[in-house]
Amino acid sequence: MSLRKYRDSERVDFVIVGSGPAGGTIARELAQAGLSVVVLEQGQRLAPVNFEHDELKYWFNGGLCNHTTRNPQTFRSDPSHEAEQVSVRPALWYARTVGGSSAHYTANYWRFREIDFVERSVLGTIPGTGFADWPLTYAELEPYYTKVEWDVGVSGLAGVHPGEPPRTRPYPMPPLPVKSSGVLFERGARKLGLHPFPAPMVINSVPYRGRPACVHCGFCHGFACEVMAKASTLTTMLPEAEATGRCEVRPESYVVRIATDKRGLVTGVHYFDARKRERFQKARAVVLSANGAESPRLLLMSSGSRFPHGLGNSSGVVGKYLMFNYSTRTSAVFEHELNEFKSVQVTRILHDFYDSDPKRGFYGGGGIDARLGPQPAMWALRQADEGPAWGREYKARLRDFPRTMTISGHTTSLPVASNSVTLDPSLKDAWGMPAIRCTYQDHPDDLAMARFFVERGEEIAEAAGAVRVASAPVKAQNFSMHLLGTCRMGNDAATSVVDRHHRCHDVPNLFVCDGSSFVTSGRGQPTMTIQALAFRAGEHIARFAKRGEIPAAG
Amino acid sequence: MLGAPALALEWSDVAAAAHHALSAAGGAGTPGATVLSRAEAADIDAISAQIIPSDDTPGAHEAGVVFFIDHALATFFAPLAREFRTQLGLFQAACSALHPGKSFAALPAEQQIEFLKTMDSTPFFARMRLLTVLGMFAMPAYGGNRNNVGWALLGFEDQHVFEPPFGYYDRAYPGFESP
Repeated sequence: MSLRKYRDSERVDFVIVGSGPAGGTIARELAQAGLSVVVLEQGQRLAPVNFEHDELKYWFNGGLCNHTTRNPQTFRSDPSHEAEQVSVRPALWYARTVGGSSAHYTANYWRFREIDFVERSVLGTIPGTGFADWPLTYAELEPYYTKVEWDVGVSGLAGVHPGEPPRTRPYPMPPLPVKSSGVLFERGARKLGLHPFPAPMVINSVPYRGRPACVHCGFCHGFACEVMAKASTLTTMLPEAEATGRCEVRPESYVVRIATDKRGLVTGVHYFDARKRERFQKARAVVLSANGAESPRLLLMSSGSRFPHGLGNSSGVVGKYLMFNYSTRTSAVFEHELNEFKSVQVTRILHDFYDSDPKRGFYGGGGIDARLGPQPAMWALRQADEGPAWGREYKARLRDFPRTMTISGHTTSLPVASNSVTLDPSLKDAWGMPAIRCTYQDHPDDLAMARFFVERGEEIAEAAGAVRVASAPVKAQNFSMHLLGTCRMGNDAATSVVDRHHRCHDVPNLFVCDGSSFVTSGRGQPTMTIQALAFRAGEHIARFAKRGEIPAAG
Repeated sequence: MLGAPALALEWSDVAAAAHHALSAAGGAGTPGATVLSRAEAADIDAISAQIIPSDDTPGAHEAGVVFFIDHALATFFAPLAREFRTQLGLFQAACSALHPGKSFAALPAEQQIEFLKTMDSTPFFARMRLLTVLGMFAMPAYGGNRNNVGWALLGFEDQHVFEPPFGYYDRAYPGFESP
């Protein structure tokens, strides 16, 4: 098959910025609907054969990700302070490669529940936050969750835990084989009267849609899958979009400005190609799916006389309400070997503490899982959490690696206006563009929630018979891979960036769909919902295009 | 017992071996010129060997962590190399102020440990610890973790395919049942 190529001067129906779970999915939906699409991705296009088990490269040297030298960032926790440049890893860390975060995610694919979309109505306002309902319900999104499970491929077991939201179909694949961590987690949780169940994972447990079953190599978390068992848009949505003959995926294309005409309509995008030459791709409409850090940044960089505070930012909320989620970490050592370095990260989870409970005295909820945690080097570095960081005793503790598992709680973050992505006033990236300035301070309820989950994790570990249990202290976050809320959806143009169909309130031929669309943070596993939103957005946007309901620049 | 002195190599041998290892590795970084002097390398080898000591199993010395660090300073750690060597110089000066005429590497183990206890909250030690752990557990292609001794210490198996059962506790699992 020869792949379709477009010239820059050819006005395509859609430019999509970003090729991850959102952009890749929307590309397929639009291309299959008969529309012409160019996907611009700032990272390289790698093949599964290029993916390695190289922890140094992927975890310490930014192999697949944005990097502090090319893509510098500044960070501050207090908005009244000047932000400082970060050196070790970006504050907002994301996959910069074709496939986006789906190339390297852990692959936990939890649906949200009904409550996530209407929490403000149920619980009331929370002072000092932008806590709000979503402009859509779970029932509206349910068909698209099902579409993710069947069109992409999620393994799991339906109907086995209380509180599971309604679903129209079962999972298309059985759960992945249980690991020792899953058996122990299940044992401990049941002793406490809790309801553990098989983790839904976007990883093939059996061959599915032309991709093989998982070989249990153990390198999911932060690594890309060399056998394609873990679904990435690189190996699922994008090849299907290209197979239509109407979609071009253009890697190493770094979009730096969305262009508009005198009427305020989008005309295309300015981008740098692999040789840092500036180019312009013409388009009738643009879909921004560049992630919760880069989508707001691009809108802010696209300011002009008509949009002095950034494109689509008449509300002033572009870049605001950044949410990270929190991940707790309890290390549990057992008598016999678990060998958690084998197979997928997670095989059992529980959602017993999903709902916010006013009796706790603070807002929040989450889910808990049992997992390996990091790979050898990062694991060894973290052993300093619970004892000497060097010497004989340290070395002795390293030998516990095969007998250790991690229990992680994944929790809510409240939307706070001052937590934000803005343009740094002085720092520039390797292309001369303004660097991201991140401002973030966990809401006190978020940290209280995390401490609550540490206690639950420790109880489960003890009940499971761990011989040693230790938790990482809960502390203020200064970096994240969950980048949510920065171009929030809403019905009111004064308080949100996009409407319920992801159309920008201010610009009728500009759409934004990715983690930035979130109104609330969910319970720590956002990507399933990002992809479900993308299927829904793709369907609506294709319909608008076909009905002539997207005005194009003259 | 794998005593560190029994395996002590001359730094020139170390450098040659490192260069060979890196050239042979291909793909995992650029084979670079060696950065460290002989005296620096000896002290770094000795510090790393106290961070992850050799006892009944190999430690950082046998893993060739010093080769890894030299490679790191020439490649991905290069932007920090100057600062790192300055910090090392201060470490060496502090050591010889306490033990005139002797390098850190030449001190008996007990004195090395005592001295490190006074230094282990410095930024230099934090970097040494990071590099030692990376050199112990990163892929051998980067010059450390020789013969996978780091992975062997952890019980990590370098394989691309595993099959269940994976560990002790999932051997007799009866299958998931809703309570």
